[in-house]
Amino acid sequence: MKAVLGCLILCAWLVGIPLLTGAIPAFFTKRRRDLPFMWVSGYMLSWALFQLEAVPLVLLHIPQGFAVLVRIFGFSSLALAAVGAFLLIRSRKSAPRLTLVREEDAGSRTNRIYWGIFFALAALQLVLAVAMNYQDGDDAYYVAVSTLTESSNTMYEKMPYSMGVTGLDLRHGLAPFPVWIAFLARISGIPAVSVAHVAVPLALIPTTYLIFYQIGGQLFGKKKEKLPLFLSFTALLTIFGNYSIYTAENFMLARSRQGKAALGSIVIPAVFLLFLLILEQTELQDGMSPQSFSGPGKGRRKSTVWMLWLLLCVTVLAACLCTTVGTMLICLLLGVGGLCAAFVYRKPGLAWKTALCCTPALVYAVLYFMV
Amino acid sequence: MWDTVRTLFQAFMGTGLIVGWYLVSLVYLWFAEKDRRIRVLFLYMPLLLLLLYFNPIFARLICAATGDEIYYRILWLLPITVVIAYVTVSIYGRIKGRRKYWFALVSAVLVTVSGSCVYASPHFHRAENLYHMPQAVVDICDAIQVEGREVMAVFPKEMLSFVRQYTPLVCMPYGREMLVSQWKAENPLYDAMEAQVLDMDVILPLAKTYSSHFVIVPEHKPITGDPEEYGFTLIDHIDGYAVYQDTSVYIGL
Repeated sequence: MKAVLGCLILCAWLVGIPLLTGAIPAFFTKRRRDLPFMWVSGYMLSWALFQLEAVPLVLLHIPQGFAVLVRIFGFSSLALAAVGAFLLIRSRKSAPRLTLVREEDAGSRTNRIYWGIFFALAALQLVLAVAMNYQDGDDAYYVAVSTLTESSNTMYEKMPYSMGVTGLDLRHGLAPFPVWIAFLARISGIPAVSVAHVAVPLALIPTTYLIFYQIGGQLFGKKKEKLPLFLSFTALLTIFGNYSIYTAENFMLARSRQGKAALGSIVIPAVFLLFLLILEQTELQDGMSPQSFSGPGKGRRKSTVWMLWLLLCVTVLAACLCTTVGTMLICLLLGVGGLCAAFVYRKPGLAWKTALCCTPALVYAVLYFMV
Repeated sequence: MWDTVRTLFQAFMGTGLIVGWYLVSLVYLWFAEKDRRIRVLFLYMPLLLLLLYFNPIFARLICAATGDEIYYRILWLLPITVVIAYVTVSIYGRIKGRRKYWFALVSAVLVTVSGSCVYASPHFHRAENLYHMPQAVVDICDAIQVEGREVMAVFPKEMLSFVRQYTPLVCMPYGREMLVSQWKAENPLYDAMEAQVLDMDVILPLAKTYSSHFVIVPEHKPITGDPEEYGFTLIDHIDGYAVYQDTSVYIGL
């Protein structure tokens, strides 16, 4: 009974809370009731919030810091979800009904076959995430940190490998992804080791495909019949992505519970998605109609654009949660992306705004070298 | 530095076939893609990132800040999966009639032949339980841990990575640091535990210096010496391992 309740709580925190939280940016970008967008932006917001609340507690060495974090993050997440729920109810009449895959995307018999192939490949990955275990040495650090954090209420103060206490481990403490897993373990009552190895992959693997789904939607515009084939190929390339142990695909399926896997397979693709959406708005502002226009009308365009930039900034924070190297990688990606976009579109503003979005990562980078 | 960068790139691309398809896809995008957004994000950005990756000055800067081992992660910024899938589907869309289905099928086969299945990795095993831990670790930890306090236990090599993931109540005198050769960690107790013949006259006195309450040894290894001489008693046989406890110390069990 306790395990069932724990599973239900986990479902609520890994599915319900991100969806409701994501309803806030969805409302302001007029993607109301667009479940994939809500899911992905909800995760980014939730992770960014966790990073903002956890790192100060780690740095300040607050006694019983994890217990404090659980209360603060739990309350703020529920508050954000409540706002999202309110906005969702408010937009109930004007917005289309909630859908995961739009009906027009289903299309012909061939499309249904492609959708079937994609869902079969995705389901296979989820089943194997539970049925198989990838033994990775790094888990001895990351998962042990989750277990120790949950049991001791301290963060990065105990030695995960063997025993005893240690000085504050700042290299890892600035990217407390394992503490997020410990949070899930605490609120659900399920052991952190099971949350890390079983529950987190079940939530994060679909998140990657929901990002690919939206990227596909942007790439193929109205030619939606290509979307399921695109997704099938992404799933196939992911499953056969073990051409070396260093690929993001390998990390995604084998080490889903580690922050670096979340960076490679969720946060970085999310940046590409947000860039696609931002450039779509840029083209609309230029009076051009991109092939894949599917967004809002002129009236709300300004709020849409600002919300997308804000989401990009939030995604940078989410990258910082995943791994300390994430700060450097995300700045590099945004820097190169912003410069290329500014040059091609002849809009220096794109570069400036992208640079501003990097600010949180730069703060963490400075902290890394200073503290 | 150039050697490091090149070696990491070679290690990242493995056989090079999937990365080869990616580079072919970039050439296709260069000549065929009209959408500015796609050109910026999936052509210009990756090309600039590749130029930066192979730039020795940039590489030196990044490696100085983060270390050479993880420099390859810059390659995660290349949207390899998305670009190959996009180009394949774009070409599929240009083909008329039934031939496009054959193209999709051949492309899928090429992906499976060029890549390598993640689940075929030797590190993947059938999960033994919902903790995804070896059942022997779970059973032994359950048998020796005491609610409300920590116990110290010496484990053989194959269990070191798992014990602290499963329970924070079991401590070890050495852990995963012994398994990473680059870290060059040394511990005479570890050496004694990994010897072909387990000499209890060496292991147990060393275990006592770490205040170890338990010593776990694989049953298939021959043992010399008498554990009783050091106050250790064989308390259980679990999943092919013998569990010795220092009965001279009260731990609440």
